[in-house]
Amino acid sequence: MVLYSFYIFDRHTECIYSRRWTPARPASAGSKTTRPQSGSSITSNGDATPAQNRKQADDEKLIFGLVFSLRNMIQKLGGEDDTFLSYRTGEYKLHYYETPTRMKFVMLTDTKQNNLRPYLHQIWANLYVEYVVKNPLAPVEHPGGIGVANEMFERGLEAFITAVLPA
Amino acid sequence: MVVFALFIISKAGGLIYNREFHSGMNKLSSNDLLMLAGSFHGMHAITRQLCPNPPTNPTPSSNLLPTPFHTRATGLEVLESSQFRMQCFQTLTGTKFLLFTEPQQPNTEAVLKKIYELYADFVMKNPFYTVEMPIRCEKFDRNLDGFVKVRG
Repeated sequence: MVLYSFYIFDRHTECIYSRRWTPARPASAGSKTTRPQSGSSITSNGDATPAQNRKQADDEKLIFGLVFSLRNMIQKLGGEDDTFLSYRTGEYKLHYYETPTRMKFVMLTDTKQNNLRPYLHQIWANLYVEYVVKNPLAPVEHPGGIGVANEMFERGLEAFITAVLPA
Repeated sequence: MVVFALFIISKAGGLIYNREFHSGMNKLSSNDLLMLAGSFHGMHAITRQLCPNPPTNPTPSSNLLPTPFHTRATGLEVLESSQFRMQCFQTLTGTKFLLFTEPQQPNTEAVLKKIYELYADFVMKNPFYTVEMPIRCEKFDRNLDGFVKVRG
């Protein structure tokens, strides 16, 4: 399976963590070697050009606006207790999970993937809560993504993704 | 099979047809529906822009003329929520058909194709219909009803 990108948005509409594996890593290549090399996040994309950075920042804002509007549309049509799960286009699929505290977890994969909501929930419960919320040195809020992309979280995410979403 | 509703959105983003078959979704005022259609039109364009691997145009082989149709990323096709599933079909001219069904509904794509056929037959071939305007064609309504009820 192909994984394109992963985002976390906090309740203030800010993207506090992003990680992308684009341009698409070859689906056939061994996952263990390709993933760490091509990964980039807010803290580790120092080698990207300014234009690429700008495009990434734009994408983050677009995705936030999009899931926010889709969620509102769904609540309008299906009632207050309806939740947005995912959408699919001809090229990719977006999975969505929102915690009770309005944090949003978004993952973009190829179209053949079933719903990844349980996995996003696990990332929140087992990685985000464990390594970011319970970290005494991390701030309560994460303006600009401070305190989220720590080593434990990055490594845990890497291990989780290679374990449950084999390439 | 439970089909909740059908919307048709013109290429400019206006709601030109809406029809409810089964209750199950919230009743919205026509103003709200128009707003919803307009914002969906925009969201559809954004989903197309966000494509992480845009399709490339096939290189024309030597004995064929290059195709005038560009392969572009399609926008949103299926939207899933816990209460319903929305299938979107966009025609080559930009008209969008939205079909709201139960979450576990199979084969919605084929249903939409058939509805598109009905649209072509009873709306586009109606000499009194002006394009981009709200659809008021009795025959289309009747055939649509018949089709959805037979499947249901």
